[in-house]
Amino acid sequence: MSRDSNYDHHISIFSPQGRLYQMEYAFKAANSGLTGVAVRGKDSVCVVTQKKVPDRLMQPDSVTHLFALTPKVGCCVTGVMADSKAYVQRARYEAGKWQFDNGYSTPTKVVAKRMADIAQVNTQSASMRPLACMALMIGVDDETGPCVFKVDCAGHYLPFKAAATGPKEQEAMNFLEKKVEDLPEYTQDQVIRCAITCLGSVLGSDFRGSEIEVGTIATTKGKFTVLTEEEIEAHLNSIADDTDA
Amino acid sequence: MGDSAYSFSLTTFSRTGKLLQIEYALNAVANGRTSLGIATKDGVVIATDKKLSSPLVDTDHVHKVEKITPSCGFVFSGVGPDYRVLVRKARKSSQAYLRHYGEAQPVSQLVKQTAGIMQEYTQSGGVRPFGVSLLVAGADADGTPRLYQVDPSGAYFGWKATAIGKNYVNAKNFLEKRYQDDMELEDGIHTALLTLREGFEGEMTSQNIEVGVVRNGVFSVLTPSQIQDYLDEAN
Repeated sequence: MSRDSNYDHHISIFSPQGRLYQMEYAFKAANSGLTGVAVRGKDSVCVVTQKKVPDRLMQPDSVTHLFALTPKVGCCVTGVMADSKAYVQRARYEAGKWQFDNGYSTPTKVVAKRMADIAQVNTQSASMRPLACMALMIGVDDETGPCVFKVDCAGHYLPFKAAATGPKEQEAMNFLEKKVEDLPEYTQDQVIRCAITCLGSVLGSDFRGSEIEVGTIATTKGKFTVLTEEEIEAHLNSIADDTDA
Repeated sequence: MGDSAYSFSLTTFSRTGKLLQIEYALNAVANGRTSLGIATKDGVVIATDKKLSSPLVDTDHVHKVEKITPSCGFVFSGVGPDYRVLVRKARKSSQAYLRHYGEAQPVSQLVKQTAGIMQEYTQSGGVRPFGVSLLVAGADADGTPRLYQVDPSGAYFGWKATAIGKNYVNAKNFLEKRYQDDMELEDGIHTALLTLREGFEGEMTSQNIEVGVVRNGVFSVLTPSQIQDYLDEAN
């Protein structure tokens, strides 16, 4: 059956040009969700994404794309929601197991690499399709400081100074590339405001506190916290003041 | 590996007797970023183009050249995630060798083992071949510096100098003209950088290439400042 090259669209085998169509289709599905932006600064890191509650009757606090993988490693997972939830479950298990085996809290880069290696298996083995989700993992490492990792459904993972995922990824990355020189000196407030401004600029809208979610970690002692609506409003006001001034 | 539902090989013979999945995997390698290697009489150098998709990527923590044993290292062209699997398997198997025999695994054995793994994935059920070609730099048991290439099919070759990936045809022609049997390692590094620069899109800096060297039987990855010194000499 795999003698027909038509099957290269159905399972993870190579096409005549050497492409993996299943991987490319998974990317399309993963990037069809919300846009997420993560930025790292001097000693803190944050991730921001839209909060779209599909129905007014839905509980707003049950709709979230930000997850704590450990108390000190957070992530924003976008794409197909069911796959994202399964991904987070596995990531939490892997991070917890690593901590148990090694005796200290799992660094961000370990979770990122582990999830990337797991994603790679689905691109090489025919039995399971790749999970259609992209993850932005954030943490503040004891040795190397704040870090942002983008892990994709094909098993690529890279450390970034700032990164974006989702339909507006390219525009957001262009915005962030202009700021790359300034980022290493940013305080926590500046990091958060930069990410919010980036998201606003690529989506072409001003937000209210209830329309975005912000997760952040400050310093090596900090825990992953999701900001409340009031805290987000405070940042939005301060951005508005800065642009007016 | 693979699921029982897929206990048949996905790589099968075509009517003309070809294994098409392997040929396609080689195409995936030819789409990858260029890597090259040169074996000299007193050492080996491997180098690769590490151009990344965005200036936002933290290049200091991205590694394409990886040490496998104290005396040998890999570099690749092709699909990055597949490469990581091979690096991990190679590291584990060379540790198992050390534990079993009490001495470091010679590079020729490591290459044979890694090639065997790549061959398995062309014949086992439910999996596709690896989309990478490896360049392996190491010192053999008697200290001779060696350079090997391992392909997705599991075939491996020893080389005096070679290149893989996007620009490999031009790079190999360039190397053929410049290679001499009595070359020394420093000349080799110099030639490797010149060859890499030939097909490089944009400016080549110490941040967007990576270089690994086997010197006196020890493999190490050059730091950006060491690469910068060589680049300055080349200018």
